[in-house]
Amino acid sequence: MTEQHRDAGGNLSQPDFEQVFLPHLDAAYNLARWLLRNDHDAEDAVQEAYMRAYKAFSHFRGGNGKAWFMTILRNVCYTMIKKLRSHETPEPFDEEIHQPVGESEMQEAFRQKANAESLHGALEKLPDEFREVIVLHDLEGLAYKEIASVVGIPIGTVMSRLARARGRLRAEIIAANAKESFS
Amino acid sequence: MNHDEAAKLLGPYRDGELDLATCLKLEEHLAGCPSCQQKLAGEQELVGLIQSETPRFKASPFLKTRIQAALREEKSSSTTIPWWKHLSLGSTFSGLAGAAAVLVLLAVGSFWTQGIPELDQEAVANHVRSLQVNHLMDVASTDQHTVKPWFAGKLDYSPQVVDLGPSGYPLIGGRLDVLEHRNVAAIIYQRRKHYINLFIWPADAESLHGRLYNQNGYHALGWTKSGMNYLAVSELGEKEFREFVQMIQDQTVDSRPGE
Repeated sequence: MTEQHRDAGGNLSQPDFEQVFLPHLDAAYNLARWLLRNDHDAEDAVQEAYMRAYKAFSHFRGGNGKAWFMTILRNVCYTMIKKLRSHETPEPFDEEIHQPVGESEMQEAFRQKANAESLHGALEKLPDEFREVIVLHDLEGLAYKEIASVVGIPIGTVMSRLARARGRLRAEIIAANAKESFS
Repeated sequence: MNHDEAAKLLGPYRDGELDLATCLKLEEHLAGCPSCQQKLAGEQELVGLIQSETPRFKASPFLKTRIQAALREEKSSSTTIPWWKHLSLGSTFSGLAGAAAVLVLLAVGSFWTQGIPELDQEAVANHVRSLQVNHLMDVASTDQHTVKPWFAGKLDYSPQVVDLGPSGYPLIGGRLDVLEHRNVAAIIYQRRKHYINLFIWPADAESLHGRLYNQNGYHALGWTKSGMNYLAVSELGEKEFREFVQMIQDQTVDSRPGE
C-alpha cells in the first residue's frame, strides 16, 4: 500500500494522484484518439481511464506510472472498440499475414510521396495492434519494455510487431501513392 | 552475425534497444553490408517522418478540467464511506492481524479523526440539503425553551440551546439530522438571509479539531467542549462565521461540574 498517497482517513489523496498521472494526459489522449478515431470517444475513454486508475491507485506500487496508466487506458479503449464495432465482423489479428513489402525497390516510390496526409491516412489504415505500437513508440517515446507491459506481450513480440507495423505503414503509403498516380 | 539476423535487428538498433554486445556485432556487419545500410536509412527516414508529420493529438484543456471535476466527485462520494470500512477494502490485513489492527485503530481513533475532513464534508452536505429540500426545521421556534425540550425523547442526550438573537444571530429552530450514522441535534440560526446549522452530539470517542474547513463557499468548524461535539456549518462569510462560533463557544456553559 502506498501510504504516502493516502491521507489520515486512509483515503486516496487526489492531489497526489493528479500529480502522478495528469502529466500523462496528452500521451493518453493521443493513444486513445488514434485507437478510437474521434475526439468524443477518446475523451470519454481517457476520463474513464482516470476514474479506474483513481480507484485502483492503492494497487499502484510506485515505479512506472506512465506504463501503469497507459495499460489501464488501453484496456478501456479496447473495451470501447469492441462495443463500438460490435456490428462489424471482427477480423482476427494475425501478425504473420501482415507482411511488409519488399525493401529497396519500393523505397524510391515511398520517398517521393510520403507527406503528412498520406502518413496520417496510412496510419489510420493499420490494424489497431500495429497502430498502437507505432503511437506508443514513435510518437509517445515508450521503450520496448514499457510497451511490453502496456500491451501485455513479450519484448520480442514488441520488436517484431513494431518492425511489421513500420513495414506495413510503408506499404500503405506506397499503395496510396500508386492509387493517386492512377487517378 | 549473418545478414538475416542483422536485418531483423535494424529497427531495434535504430530505437536504441540493443544491448552493447549485440550492438557491436551488428555494427560490424553493417559496415560491410550496403543492403543493411540502405534498410537502416529507410527505417530512420520512416520513423523521422512519423515523428515530424503525424499529428500528436493533444487533449483539450476542457478535458483536464472535466477529469479533475470527476475526480473530485469520485473522492467526495467515496469519502462518505466510514473510515473503518476502508480496513476491509484493499487492506493487506487479514484474520487476526486485521482484528488486532482494528483494536489498535480504535485506540487511536480519537487522534485519527482529527485530520479527517469527511465529517466536515458530510456536515456541509447536510447543511446544503437542509436548505434545498425545505427541511430546514422540524421545530420552528425562536425560543430556546421550546427548541431544547423538543429534542427530548428523540435523542439520548440533551443539547444546549443558546439564543444569539440579541447579537444578530437569532435562533430559528431545530431539526433531527444524521452524521456518521448517528442521530444528532441540528440547531438553526439565521443571519440576514443566511442560515447556520449547528450540529451537536456527545463526544464519545472523538474530539473535533477546531480547524476551519472550506468547501465551495461553505464553512465548517467543529470543536469539542464539555464532552459534546459542536460542528457549525454555513455559507456565511468567514468573519461572521467565526464571530458566530466564538459566541456559541462563549455561551455554552460547562454542564459537567468539576470538569
